[in-house]
Amino acid sequence: MRKILSILLTASMLGAMLTACSGGDGNKIVGGDPSNTAKPNAETAQPSSKPVKIEIIETGNNLPSPDKDVIKQELDKALNIDLNLTVYPSGDDYSNQLSVRMASGNFPDLFMVDRQQLIEFSKQGLLLDLTSYMDKLEQTVAFIGEDSVKKGMVDGKVYAISKSPQIPYNTYWIRKDWLEKLQLQVPKTVEELSTVAEAFTKNDPDGNGKPDTIGLTGGKIGAFSPVFGAFGAGMPGNFYEKDGAVVNGLYDPAMKEALEFIKNMIASGSVDPELLANSGLQHQEKAIKGQAGIVYLDWPNMTKEQFVEQIKTVNPNAEWLQMTAPTGKGGQYDGSWDIGAAPGRFAIPKALEKDPEKLQRVFDLLNYISNPDGGSLLVQFGIQDTHFTLDNGKPKMTDKAGDVGYSWLYQFTGRPEMEYLQAKFSAQSEAIAFASEQPRIEILNGFIDNPQGFNPADADRYIEEELAKFIYNKRPLSQYDDFIKTLETSMNYKTFMDSALEQLKALGYGK
Amino acid sequence: MEADHSLTPTPRIGPTPKTKLQSILRTIWSFRAFYIMLLPGVIYFIIFRYFPMYGVIIAFKNFAILEGITGSSWVNPWYKHFQDFYQSPYFGQLLSNTLLISVYKLVWGTLPPILLALLLNECRVRWLKSIVQTLTYMPHFLSWVIIFGILLTLFSQNGGLINRWIVEAGGTSVPFLTSTDYFRSILVGSEVWQNLGWGAIIYLAAMAGIDPTLYEAAKVDGASRVRMIWHITLPGIRSIIILLFILKLGHLLDAGFDQIYILYNIQVYPVADILDTWVYRTGLQQLNFSLASAVGLFKSVIGLILVLGANRMAKKWGEGIW
Amino acid sequence: MVKSLDDKIFNSIVYVILGLCGLAAILPILYVVAVSITPFGEVLRNGGFILFPREITFTAYRTLLTESNIPKAFQITVLITVIGTAVNLILTGLMAYPLSRKNLPARNFFLMMIVFTLLFSGGIIPTYLVVKSLGLLDSIWAMILPNAVWSFNVLIMKSFFEGLPEELFESARIDGAKEFRILLQIVTPLSVPVLLTVGLFYLVGHWNEFFQAIFYVTDRTLYPLQVVVREILMQSQQPLENAENMMPTQTMQMASVMIASLPVIVIYPFLQKHFTKGMLLGSIKG
Repeated sequence: MRKILSILLTASMLGAMLTACSGGDGNKIVGGDPSNTAKPNAETAQPSSKPVKIEIIETGNNLPSPDKDVIKQELDKALNIDLNLTVYPSGDDYSNQLSVRMASGNFPDLFMVDRQQLIEFSKQGLLLDLTSYMDKLEQTVAFIGEDSVKKGMVDGKVYAISKSPQIPYNTYWIRKDWLEKLQLQVPKTVEELSTVAEAFTKNDPDGNGKPDTIGLTGGKIGAFSPVFGAFGAGMPGNFYEKDGAVVNGLYDPAMKEALEFIKNMIASGSVDPELLANSGLQHQEKAIKGQAGIVYLDWPNMTKEQFVEQIKTVNPNAEWLQMTAPTGKGGQYDGSWDIGAAPGRFAIPKALEKDPEKLQRVFDLLNYISNPDGGSLLVQFGIQDTHFTLDNGKPKMTDKAGDVGYSWLYQFTGRPEMEYLQAKFSAQSEAIAFASEQPRIEILNGFIDNPQGFNPADADRYIEEELAKFIYNKRPLSQYDDFIKTLETSMNYKTFMDSALEQLKALGYGK
Repeated sequence: MEADHSLTPTPRIGPTPKTKLQSILRTIWSFRAFYIMLLPGVIYFIIFRYFPMYGVIIAFKNFAILEGITGSSWVNPWYKHFQDFYQSPYFGQLLSNTLLISVYKLVWGTLPPILLALLLNECRVRWLKSIVQTLTYMPHFLSWVIIFGILLTLFSQNGGLINRWIVEAGGTSVPFLTSTDYFRSILVGSEVWQNLGWGAIIYLAAMAGIDPTLYEAAKVDGASRVRMIWHITLPGIRSIIILLFILKLGHLLDAGFDQIYILYNIQVYPVADILDTWVYRTGLQQLNFSLASAVGLFKSVIGLILVLGANRMAKKWGEGIW
Repeated sequence: MVKSLDDKIFNSIVYVILGLCGLAAILPILYVVAVSITPFGEVLRNGGFILFPREITFTAYRTLLTESNIPKAFQITVLITVIGTAVNLILTGLMAYPLSRKNLPARNFFLMMIVFTLLFSGGIIPTYLVVKSLGLLDSIWAMILPNAVWSFNVLIMKSFFEGLPEELFESARIDGAKEFRILLQIVTPLSVPVLLTVGLFYLVGHWNEFFQAIFYVTDRTLYPLQVVVREILMQSQQPLENAENMMPTQTMQMASVMIASLPVIVIYPFLQKHFTKGMLLGSIKG
């Protein structure tokens, strides 16, 4: 009896609370946070000389505190604003923060969104439609380019500013000293790649008499990107054009051949047994420690001073060589490159509409950092003559450049990637150019939005899991078609395929 | 009953109560000091715990951020998010993984700390006791990222310490971290390691409350130390063991997201993917708050049933929470 | 007094097992300490494994303590921990004592209310709305009040209070003591082990606080220690695809962990002596 009574009491208390608070949050949000908007509104009549507070959130790290943040101070001075940037090192923390801020009407004035958030938030009317403001963002548009503008669109309206495009960083890196020791040539074909990897595993390239080396490592299945490419296939799940039609890597006939090849490579023991478990930068660490002889890695994590020093400490003779993608029967592609992806997108809340002065300042900020004669150099390289000097119009870093290593956090509209990297990382400029010049399969996944009723998490898991079984020879490749069938039915992949092809067709890809 | 009655602060003055209501009010009044003590805590619970509780209804709604929790439309049918969840091809596996890992952790997370506490309690060498107590307490402060690093150093297939020994001894390396055979043991083992000393603290505190005259009497009777553990120490901490066990049962469907999320990889998904990791990949990464909330509610209801059931059983031994 | 043979065997078993437990705990910790004071290149040269460093450097510690936000964050953490633990213990004690009285009317209702919150929560969005509407955002109270009472700790404390002998309360009441005085002057001194235990749970909880900080605080000057440490650790877990990103070395990571956890590790031995068997009750009764 007593227990029932207490359950009832608890329940009724809950009920009371429900009624007490319903109505509460809904209203608050629709009007935007009054304390946020109402007051500055009154001030807009005569543009005040007081700095306007602008709050921005994004993912990132290593931002110094405001009193040591010279980029912030310069931007504040130039634009008469009080810029408050908050960065979140974990993408999940960021995403949670953004959601609660949106839900509580406590909007930041500018915030990073991924494609999924862009779609969700714009559908719910939380984002400012920038289409009609494009004339105020001319400088920004000129900086990022028309293609990037499209990447911030949902249903033909611009809801976010996409950063200017990046360039690819990844290639195979190979231990030159190991090749020399075993008197091998840099592999040109996938077959040679496999032979060299096997030799690296079995012929004791580090000469310590112990079987403690492995041929190839990398982050998960991405380690084989150039191998897939050599067979003419994109990565599983990639959409790309082949012979005029759009195909998904999983359905490409070349996929099976590539998997067969990878399976044999793994069977020879020349591949990192924990390849699929490598998270973060574990593969890089294995390479630096001298455990692996070939690694699929981006140039910063191989050639920046910090890592070069580590490599040399472990073994002064170690020498890593950037390698062109191996050729195969399907051609030569160093993996794939998503032409639909954006390095980052920033959106403005709809609520800011009611505060034209602040909105103008946000536009000013975006234009300023996009202006080569304005703040663009500031957010790229720091303060002129302190952190960099201009030599015939070409920026050169001074030895103080390291103090503003965080300036990229302020590149809300991106940067002219190639010139920027060449200037900022002059020591690495060859590797940068090399990586960016590799032929890649252009993929279109960035243009595809997931359809309703499709759970990508389940499908992704199934794909990854079964591919792992295929390449580790735990499931015969003869069952590949069964795998696709299960994927289409149980995992609803058919819905996704149909929708994806339709979306791409609408953009003019395939026939 | 006698003892129970004597607890009541007896209403000392005034005539005998006239009606039942009056008598109830009078009893409550006589406990007023207790209610005043409870007040600040209850206010806290109402504001920070119960007020936000309306959030659970998003499990039955199509949560739209702009409309807010109360304004979002109800989903049709009302159980749609639950349906999405149990219709996942992985539902069965997720549930069984969650339960298995959780039960292992429940058993291994309960017994070793009790054992350690008993041993520390029996330890007559003061410095040894103090050192071991402090050392075993330390791993609690290492986050899973760091422990993952330690596990890699030990168990990695290439370069891991243990595999290096195995290979040098002429064996073949063992895929501790990528094989379904070992992964759960790694999970449970590392958790036991992390929480051994931390978990023992509370039992040590309970042992400190045992009446020493009981031990003296037993010693006079010539009881061995094992007998004293069995007949005095363990009964003395029985109520706290049961309490902790019941509370842990309430979280049976949390098998430890933080740990698994950092440690698992695609090759061990069949034994390691749990409800929370699935929700993370499906719900939170795709902004599906309603789905996450539905799974959360499911877990809570199961937890509540387990707690109520366990409490009823415990009451038979006179040890329930209420 | 001559110890019996049985006693000796028993003791040796105890010591051996305890020794093994200590060893199992210390080796990995030693590894963390060793890496934190070894130049990273040296760590890599050893294949990532080091127990006894040959070359010692405190550069990582120096960098963290001078160039990062750690010193400021340290102050914030101490502040939250001290205020927070005090608030926690007062509220928890005030709840646990009445609930340990088995004849308190509506006791089960209150207990249910507490247990219920262990299992059900409204989720982060409504909680954020509450914190926001109370005006707590961007203040240290946002990291203290939302977790002012842990249901778990109330139940633990209540369970301990229930174990106190009834005669104590009876005699105090006969002497005319008021309940607040009984709680303060009789229950509290008798409950040092549980107060310390629960206090330690709260203290460590505050010390490890980052969740509420990243939700409710955007002012970097109010960030507690663990947020800064987490930033260092997260970079190795989810490297950003940025050429500029400086990856903290393992040495740096381990040093940050050491800085963040050393203070709470050091206080533990000071608390231990209060856990001595039967000390308190013995002194009262005897």
